[in-house]
Amino acid sequence: MARLIKTEKEVEGRYEETWVVVEEDVLDQWPAGPLTVVGQAVERKDGLERARGEAPYTADLKLPGMLHAAVLRSPHARANVKRLDLEPARRSLGVRAVVGPGDVHVLTDEPRYPGQPVAAVAADTFRQAREAVKLIEVEWEELEPLLDPDEAVARGELVEEPRRFERGDLERGLAKADVVVEAEYRTQTLLHNCMETHQSICRWHGDRKLDVFISTQFIWGVRERLADQLGLDPDDVRVVCEFMGGGFGSKNGPGDYTYIGAELAKRTGRPVKCALTRREESLATGNRNATIQRLVAGAKADGTLTALGGEYVNAVGWSGFSPMTGGPMQYLYACDNVRVVEHGARLNAPPNAAFRAPGFVEGTFGLECLLDELAARLDLDPLELRRRNHLDADPEGRSYSSKNLMECYRLAEEHWARRDTVRARSEGSWQRGVGLASQVWFGGGGPPSYAWVRVGADGRAVVVTAMQDIGTGTRTAMAQIAAEELGLPLDRVEVALGDSARGPYASISAGSSTLPSMGPAVRSAAADAARQILELAAQRFDKEQRVLSLKDEHVVASDGGSWPLGSVCELLGDGQVLGKGARGPNPTGMRVLTFGVQVAEVAVDVETGEVRVERVAAIHDVGRIVNPLGARSQVEGGIVQAIGHTLSEERLLDPETGTVLTQTLDAYRMPTIADVPEIVAEFVDVPDQHLTNLGSKGLGEPPIIPTAAAIANAIRDATGADVRSLPVTREELLRALREARERVGAVPA
Amino acid sequence: MELSRPSTVDEAVAALGNGAVALAGGTELVPLLRDGLVRADRVVHLADAVPRGIDGTRIGAGTTLAELEVDPQIPSALREACRLAASPQLRSMGTIGGNLLQATRCWYWRLEFPCRLHGGDRCHAAEGVHREHAFFASDFCASAHPSDPAAALVALGGMLRTDRRELPVAELYRLPTEDDRSTTTLAPGELILELDVPAPEASVYLKAMDRRRWSFPIVGVAVARAADGVRIALAGAAPIPWAIASEADLDGATPLPGTAYKLDVARALVRRALAEV
Repeated sequence: MARLIKTEKEVEGRYEETWVVVEEDVLDQWPAGPLTVVGQAVERKDGLERARGEAPYTADLKLPGMLHAAVLRSPHARANVKRLDLEPARRSLGVRAVVGPGDVHVLTDEPRYPGQPVAAVAADTFRQAREAVKLIEVEWEELEPLLDPDEAVARGELVEEPRRFERGDLERGLAKADVVVEAEYRTQTLLHNCMETHQSICRWHGDRKLDVFISTQFIWGVRERLADQLGLDPDDVRVVCEFMGGGFGSKNGPGDYTYIGAELAKRTGRPVKCALTRREESLATGNRNATIQRLVAGAKADGTLTALGGEYVNAVGWSGFSPMTGGPMQYLYACDNVRVVEHGARLNAPPNAAFRAPGFVEGTFGLECLLDELAARLDLDPLELRRRNHLDADPEGRSYSSKNLMECYRLAEEHWARRDTVRARSEGSWQRGVGLASQVWFGGGGPPSYAWVRVGADGRAVVVTAMQDIGTGTRTAMAQIAAEELGLPLDRVEVALGDSARGPYASISAGSSTLPSMGPAVRSAAADAARQILELAAQRFDKEQRVLSLKDEHVVASDGGSWPLGSVCELLGDGQVLGKGARGPNPTGMRVLTFGVQVAEVAVDVETGEVRVERVAAIHDVGRIVNPLGARSQVEGGIVQAIGHTLSEERLLDPETGTVLTQTLDAYRMPTIADVPEIVAEFVDVPDQHLTNLGSKGLGEPPIIPTAAAIANAIRDATGADVRSLPVTREELLRALREARERVGAVPA
Repeated sequence: MELSRPSTVDEAVAALGNGAVALAGGTELVPLLRDGLVRADRVVHLADAVPRGIDGTRIGAGTTLAELEVDPQIPSALREACRLAASPQLRSMGTIGGNLLQATRCWYWRLEFPCRLHGGDRCHAAEGVHREHAFFASDFCASAHPSDPAAALVALGGMLRTDRRELPVAELYRLPTEDDRSTTTLAPGELILELDVPAPEASVYLKAMDRRRWSFPIVGVAVARAADGVRIALAGAAPIPWAIASEADLDGATPLPGTAYKLDVARALVRRALAEV
């Protein structure tokens, strides 16, 4: 039955309380541990299709009569257009339409960041569109850009009000401490670099109905925002994304390219593809903002934390949001006196966007490095220090729906115990060490989300829901959940997703929420279908329905008797069993969080500053694991991405002009397969008994959160150097090594 | 754009000039054309005109890096410099002749800032972000030469034969000046045809990168020991491959604030390379 409830909705760490219509979640959870299909390691259902290049991504789509758009983007960080002549572009070969400021709300003649769109062209080919863009004549008035985040904060140039969090009294906590450590940490701006660049195709039917094929993490969000902006009825906007080539948080909305494409498509009466180039991808599709973190921690001699303080500056860019960089400081440790202040600096730099655990990745680097600096001062084992400050109950008085961080620490012991052997393998200039860091994050998902399950006479099931699989393997996980409930083998279940016109509302794929939001809806739809099948079986075989269940493609009676599923389903003829299901509410008054710990082993060449990550062991607590193979793949992806973020990736700006210097992949260096260490992934794998009929939390973000700090702490363990700035370039490491040597030199042994 | 494919050196030389550019593996030229850093109406494909292959100490300029890195006739410094360059896909296309003529990776130059190398009057890198730039000869232009094989060939004392002269590889390069901003001594339309690399007694190439593979050098160090002594050359150190006579020459470096760390890296690698030969 539908019920109106007030629930807390959380996306990427931002909470809001809203009214939601939810269905009761009446199913009991399955028993813990691997089941017949759920909990078994299975390959992706669409793995071969993807590997063979057969899976149709948005980038592969070509609609009849389709035009291509190209965008004129500001080459300046801050400028005004004094004169703009679009005529040369209009006259250029193959051009069908040109739009400028005033024609589309995202086009501006006062760009405030490099890459902000000014004008756009639709032409028969992409090359013609690009050539025409080059012909647009612009006279710029260049203005001095604001690029320094501290200066922006001092001047009050902020994207939102500073956020403050306080419990207890920081000063009093510091006064009670036996040891106080203080340090400034910095993290760099990072680019998502989705393999499929941001893009969409817009196609109008008349002037009231719009189809949008788009590489997106949120079909329904794109639908809503486009309908809103264009004044359309949401049901007249159809949004399609069947296969998706990476988002990481940067594809949660329509993007400037879709608004531009929609207008060009309207003007030309033709479908228009607006696909960004790799260079545009480096400018105008969001980033993980740089941070400055001025942190302090105080503790008793036994390691008990008495104070944690953080003044955070998020270098947000011209627009975007100020992430919860202080979140880990609020959520990770038991400490009575905490003060966090987060500033979001507005700069003449490209806007940030959510990026795989925004804020928490950066904040965990600072906090978990600080904890290790504290452990060193106290001469305490870093793992023991974390255990002593374990937060047993949420400081705001809410209980955790489940928390197994201590179990994560226990599982980490085996990897932590390797440090003597690892250190002993140091040789010559190559010093080795081990470091660890804890992880806290959201990831509980929430309502609303819906699914349908269709079973036909052939005894096969199709899960129908307008969700998107953003490459994380959720399509396979949904099929596993439905197969488990229906007693079917995995290959008898298909998932039809990716089209707002062909399925019910589904969750955003962000904030580690796809599985915990969609999985319970799919299970309840499958259970509804199973119930209807058993109703038919009860009549056909003259049994009481309550003794019947579905198992191994059979209807099984607990009081004897077993019939192939086909013998019931064939009765359907052209009829179908239609099950529907919805995501139930999150537990009231409880905090739903994910936890984990990672242990990194590194080798450091102290003469050349080279860092090699040799092994990372990851232990995460995310409730029930639906597909252990898929889960491992998420952990591997998170850690590899984190290694790039720790060691080699950085978006650089020219300090004078604000130009993005790293616009190509030879300058912006992501890790290659040669940089990938041994990765061990372990899970507590205990269902969260308070969370939905599934007990699963999300795993998209947790694995990327603690890696940088674990690596930095391993570097300290190996060399004594405190690296406090990301990426750990050779310059930063050689600096930290020099500083460590001078420190040792200053205090004669 | 017009593409021609001459079958002899004479035809190739005749086809070059008048806005035509030479194409070998294309791994460098194609992106430069795409980005508008090189403009040309005609492209002359050299595959049928320029020699390819290895014969003792002689190397056709059309030989790919992938062919060099596995050939036992090739001195180990050059083999290793090829192996550590780029990615397998790029090395199977890129030729040694083309590699020697690579343009700098300086982001200011690549983004067409009006810098000295583009004929302008300032070096944006020296005043801006330059952690990948030069620590020798950086006062006019702070760009760093990206070629690993070039440094190896300078240390090995390699010789070049063009369609009009023979010269040591080291003399292929010149520092840009106020009057002439080019970084090579190649005349317009002049074609590198062949290399001659004398066998050293021992040679080595060591390279520091930002990641394990597929990265231009932070610093590359080539050392070769021959009968007449030891030669050292650096990649990623100056606007051109940079020869030094000894480890002590590093004391004469002129790093920018952001390239001082490169000197530390170079010291360590030079010491190690010398110990290996």
